[in-house]
Amino acid sequence: MHCHRYDLPNSRRDFLQTAGCGFGAVALAALMGEQAHAAPQQLPQRMARAKSVIFLFMEGGPSHLDTFDRKPLLNELAGQSLPASFKTPLTAAGEGKSPLLECKRTWKQHCQGGLWISDWFTQVARHADDLAVIHSCASSGINHAGGVCSMNTGSLFGGRPSLGAWASYGLGTENKNLPAFVVIKDSESTVVNGVRNWGAGFMPAVYQGVEFHPDGTPIKYLDNPKGVDRREQREKLDLLGKLDHDFNASRASNTELEARIRGFELAYQMQAEAPGAVDLSKETATTKKLYGMDDAATATFGRNCLLARRLVENGVRFVQLYSGAGSKWDSHAGIEARHSQLCHSVDRPIAGLLSDLKARGLLEETLVIWGGEFGRTPMSEKGDGRDHNPTGFTMWMAGGGVQGGRTHGATDELGLYAVEDRLHVHDLHATILHLLGIDHTKLIYPHMGRPERIDQNEGRPYTKLV
Amino acid sequence: MTFFENEVRPLLVKRCYECHSDTKQKGGLRVDHIGYLKSGGDTGPALVPGKPDESALIEAVRYANEDFQMPPKGKLPDAEIAIMENWIKMGAPWPEDPAKKVVVTEGGFTQEQRNYWAFQPVKKVSPPNTGGSWGRSDVDRFIAAKQSEMKLKPAPEADRHELVRRVYFDLHGLPPTKDQVDAFVNDKDPRAYERLIDEVLASPRYGERWAQHWLDLVRYAESDGYNQDAYRPHAWPYRDYVIKSFNEDKPYDQFVREQLAGDEIAPDDPEVLIATAFMRHPVYEYNLRDIRGQWDLIVTDMTDTAGELFLGLSMGCARCHNHKFDPILQKDYYRLRAFFTPVHWRDDLKLVTPAEKEAFDQQEAKWMAATAEIRAKMDALTQPEIDKRVKTWLVSFPEDLQAMTNKPADQRDSLEKQLAGLCKRQLDFARASFDPMKDIKDEKAKTEYKALREALNKFDHLKPEPLPEAFVVTDAGPKAPANKLQTRKGDLEIEPGFPAIVDSAPLKITPTKTSTGRRTALAEWITRSDNPLSTRVIVNRVWQYHFGRGIVGSSSEFGTLGELPTHPALLDYLTKKFVEGGWHFKALHREIMLSATYQQTARREPDEAVAKIDPANRYLWRFNPRRLDAEQVRDALLAVSGELDLTAGGPASDGNGTRRSIYTRKKRNSPNDLLLALDMPAGFTSIAERQSTTTPTQALQLLNGDWLRARARHLALRSKSIEDTWIAVLGRQPTEQERATADAFLKTQMARVKQAPPKNEIAANDQGFKVNTPHERLLVSVNDKEGDEFTVESIVKLDSVDKNAELRTLVSHWDGGKASLESFGWSIDVTGQKSRYKPRNILMLLVGEDENANISYQVAASDIHIEVGRRYHLVVQVSSARHSITFTVRDLDTPGAKAESAIVQIERLSKLSQGASPIYLGGLGKRNPTRQWDGQIEALRIVSGQTADNMLNADPDQWKSGIFIWRAADPLRSQFTWSGADSEAAPEDEPLVKAMTSLCQVLLTSNQFFYLH
Repeated sequence: MHCHRYDLPNSRRDFLQTAGCGFGAVALAALMGEQAHAAPQQLPQRMARAKSVIFLFMEGGPSHLDTFDRKPLLNELAGQSLPASFKTPLTAAGEGKSPLLECKRTWKQHCQGGLWISDWFTQVARHADDLAVIHSCASSGINHAGGVCSMNTGSLFGGRPSLGAWASYGLGTENKNLPAFVVIKDSESTVVNGVRNWGAGFMPAVYQGVEFHPDGTPIKYLDNPKGVDRREQREKLDLLGKLDHDFNASRASNTELEARIRGFELAYQMQAEAPGAVDLSKETATTKKLYGMDDAATATFGRNCLLARRLVENGVRFVQLYSGAGSKWDSHAGIEARHSQLCHSVDRPIAGLLSDLKARGLLEETLVIWGGEFGRTPMSEKGDGRDHNPTGFTMWMAGGGVQGGRTHGATDELGLYAVEDRLHVHDLHATILHLLGIDHTKLIYPHMGRPERIDQNEGRPYTKLV
Repeated sequence: MTFFENEVRPLLVKRCYECHSDTKQKGGLRVDHIGYLKSGGDTGPALVPGKPDESALIEAVRYANEDFQMPPKGKLPDAEIAIMENWIKMGAPWPEDPAKKVVVTEGGFTQEQRNYWAFQPVKKVSPPNTGGSWGRSDVDRFIAAKQSEMKLKPAPEADRHELVRRVYFDLHGLPPTKDQVDAFVNDKDPRAYERLIDEVLASPRYGERWAQHWLDLVRYAESDGYNQDAYRPHAWPYRDYVIKSFNEDKPYDQFVREQLAGDEIAPDDPEVLIATAFMRHPVYEYNLRDIRGQWDLIVTDMTDTAGELFLGLSMGCARCHNHKFDPILQKDYYRLRAFFTPVHWRDDLKLVTPAEKEAFDQQEAKWMAATAEIRAKMDALTQPEIDKRVKTWLVSFPEDLQAMTNKPADQRDSLEKQLAGLCKRQLDFARASFDPMKDIKDEKAKTEYKALREALNKFDHLKPEPLPEAFVVTDAGPKAPANKLQTRKGDLEIEPGFPAIVDSAPLKITPTKTSTGRRTALAEWITRSDNPLSTRVIVNRVWQYHFGRGIVGSSSEFGTLGELPTHPALLDYLTKKFVEGGWHFKALHREIMLSATYQQTARREPDEAVAKIDPANRYLWRFNPRRLDAEQVRDALLAVSGELDLTAGGPASDGNGTRRSIYTRKKRNSPNDLLLALDMPAGFTSIAERQSTTTPTQALQLLNGDWLRARARHLALRSKSIEDTWIAVLGRQPTEQERATADAFLKTQMARVKQAPPKNEIAANDQGFKVNTPHERLLVSVNDKEGDEFTVESIVKLDSVDKNAELRTLVSHWDGGKASLESFGWSIDVTGQKSRYKPRNILMLLVGEDENANISYQVAASDIHIEVGRRYHLVVQVSSARHSITFTVRDLDTPGAKAESAIVQIERLSKLSQGASPIYLGGLGKRNPTRQWDGQIEALRIVSGQTADNMLNADPDQWKSGIFIWRAADPLRSQFTWSGADSEAAPEDEPLVKAMTSLCQVLLTSNQFFYLH
């Protein structure tokens, strides 16, 4: 137990009175102060623009070759096998030797920066000058489980904290009634590996992501039990507070006890306010339309994007949106149909999100990240699909101080391997923290005697994005 | 010397330090002292004084060997190379800097490293003579000596209530019952406490608690932990083995030997063999084509876990480089790894004695002989397709692995056996994906197959009961596969051995006919009575579980990154005694628990001085207050509500049930909500210490979760008074003030419930279902469950569908949730205008358990679109066994209209009728105005089991059977209750029960219940 010297209010009432001023920080400190480890000491925070992150996770692996990474040679060699000059990769479905598959897209250069973007992202393309497109991403996970876990936690296996957990550990939350790290999926399907993708790993549970459901009750257990109304809930909490308070009075050295009272109060507040955070009824029809909520094909992801904006506005630090939860971007066969539909379902919503964030002056402080756990191979699978490609793929970032209209790094001429400024997932994580003003080598969590970092001591921030 | 300072040192600094000095030691090499250079790095000495041509350093800078060139960025100028050569020729003189004196001893370790406490032999110590009067035992004298040194005083003894609660939670993980409390509190015997400890240690509940600590350490889980997260149905015997070992007080050395090498020391004893499941806990992915990579990770996981668990060393750090902070070499890591490289995950063994196996084989041979012909015919129908599937899968492996798989088993070497074994698992998966009833496409063949299967079943009397599968390992053979450490100079084969700083003596290993004997050697070494690490590590763990903090605070990290022992002499004293006494845990528990140190109260607040000297209570000036951990909370909730099911051992049960937590299913990717919220580890890595977190989402679950509320209700039903509640939950009477507060609370609650507005008058039954009227939904009470095979038959008319994508629900046995056992269920619905299933589509939603014991949510859309305003005869037949749902719809308003029908395949689901929600007509269990049926449900029945088509009838008056039959035209029977816009969904408890439930829930979430303080 640590001995923290927080100014502990004496009662719920005192506590609520102090709530107006700087409550967020105190609550967070109190909530985590008594845990195994306190939050890191004041990190020397670099001047950073990004305060929050919206991570648009295209689960299953979107094809970089058909969206943002144009490879004319691929179409020239389509039907042939990989030239001998390329090392045959070990792929998930064992398609290393299959013939190359042409890209059927039409490509155009967009905006001032002249970024090449395919016709699957015509709406996002209008924001080309906001996008920093990284062509040279790489991951160690060749299948979905390893890939998604890796992109989220830096490790192929569970047990480590996710990126969102590191961000909330490093920066805390700015809203007392909402979690610092929120996850929203586009369907009921389970994301590969389930909840541990947004778990806190070896950190205390305060840092874990909380799943929001876009319909009805946003957080699990947010509704009162059947037959219990808010007044009764309040009375129960008052009784609990009284019993606990009497008990705690002679045990002041055990700060966990007080923290528990606060935990319940926070929960009660959350019950009142979380539904509001996801209530879109106050949004105008124009805004909804901007996000594509007027069209069935784009409505789901559009709604989630709009929710993400509202959450970020409300001080949520890290929002992760899954598109295609349950590996739906996976396209081993029939990539045309699958990707067409999925790209269409996110294109307008993402463009809407970027426009809306910009219009509200939020884009500067919100880092938007797009990508999946890996890209796809130039080789075909089952004739008209592509296998997983973790050795070279594309992600892009926008906002948060990132300079748009530029590309970074490169894959080889067929888009198989990252060959220039290769950024492994560890480097990506270090980079994202860097954009949030955190030196990832200083953001340390002591675990089992080891100073753990997000990158397992292997990553370097890529500083050319700013 | 001037030559060295002017020429050589600057050169080393400029050219080599970046990678080879105090901050980095690539390849394990440092060049900032001659001692390091002489002892060298991974590939041996870097320098031989006087002999430049034999010095690796010179070889590297000369760029003579293509694979070994330094510095890597480019060859040095010849002049610089010459300087180095000259210096070495001179004998490589290095000036002694007294301020930075580094003594490099044999093996390249400094004297300081060798002197590190944890590597010293465990000392024989006598307890200090403190002269004070406090204390009962030797343990106390160590504690007292340190306290007097620190100017601290011990706390008073805990009172008997505090003590009895502590002892039961500590040893059983359960609260004492009222009788147990009374017995101890009123025991006049001066040895009452000692007798209590003995009694509690003798109960089987002890093993169920302490096994949990061990399961945390070995990252026990019952699923693969990857994407598929397949259930491991044969893992639980290992859990039972651990529980049994604790209950039998099995000596720790034996416990370790069995787990590391049970297959080598007692291959024929299933009770020992199962212990090797210890090496089966790494995560696994069923379809990972990177077989080698997966195997490498599994071996790595076994190595890392063994290092942390047994030696308290984070060996994992040394996998890629020499440990940055401890004298653990990369070679040491590979030496440890070498013990595990021969491991072979066996899927072909049974957990029985050879005699039982023999009996089984004989009986099976009889069955095989009798059925050979039938099975051959069946195979002929299925084999071509199965072979095709297997082949497709096989060719996706890299060629070398295909070759290994195709090789006859007896020609494979050890590595090939391991890898081919993993390939085979995948191919077996491909094989099992063939379901004859689904995948034989030819109808004639299918009929033939069915007939054959029936014929086969006639021989079931000859077929022996299947034997329990053994979730164990053996070695792949007597010869170990390669264990290569990659270095710049090529691969080094590393033989098994121990961390050099602890023991560098050569190791003698005796292989057996089938096994390398390596793990036996490792187990022997770990359990040597003079092993300075493993002995201290386990004793320290036991201390930690009793006190909440070890004598070494970092119980899985005894290296320099960890904490130093607060009471090193005490640790050595206990360790010696533990080992000399035969490695018995129960004796150690006794020794610790009988001390005055353990019996101190936790109820002591630090004064200013104490808060300054020792705020964290490292020197035990009181007993550490602790929150109950996840399993203790859950088990205690069940114990006090009177529902705890003490059935011991066997296959695991669902966490939403009432068995002890240790017997609940441990699915890595879908842990039990409550246990997870209270910091149960996920089972991916070895966990030495539980966290105790407080979050608003945890609070939400405690306040609003159904499971806890249900326990509160049970407790309320068995409590006759406030006193009863207090005694059940806290083991004591309420104070006057508490009684008054609770009483006032009950009165307020009951008064309010009574004021609830009267329910609306109910109109006639046949007005149909309409939202915002008293006839929104109809609650059905039934005695029987429909099960996983059932038919819903109805006569319906729908007046509208939702203008958006929402459904209209005809009937449900479901609350709409998708995440817990309580939400298991189903509904039959019609889609809205904007549905992605197109409007007016009849579909069924189901939540149940799939074959991997995962909660699965499925949508079965019939693609039969009905019209609004028309009467239909609608039948839905659910067969989980046949993986199908059959929808049949006939328009009754069009004379002579034909029935439309559709068969929709679903995954096999079970427990469909086990959810908590009752059956509702016209909506879900939870009111949702947009999802209500709008129109008529003239009649509806649910028939359990499979129904023959001739039982179906569009005239409901002809319906005979069903778990219920609803006919709107009939008078309302008592099993049906209308639920309207104003009425509560569920039948209400009477006010007192409801109020008591709330009171109980508050008490069950209170700090007093959650904390031992």
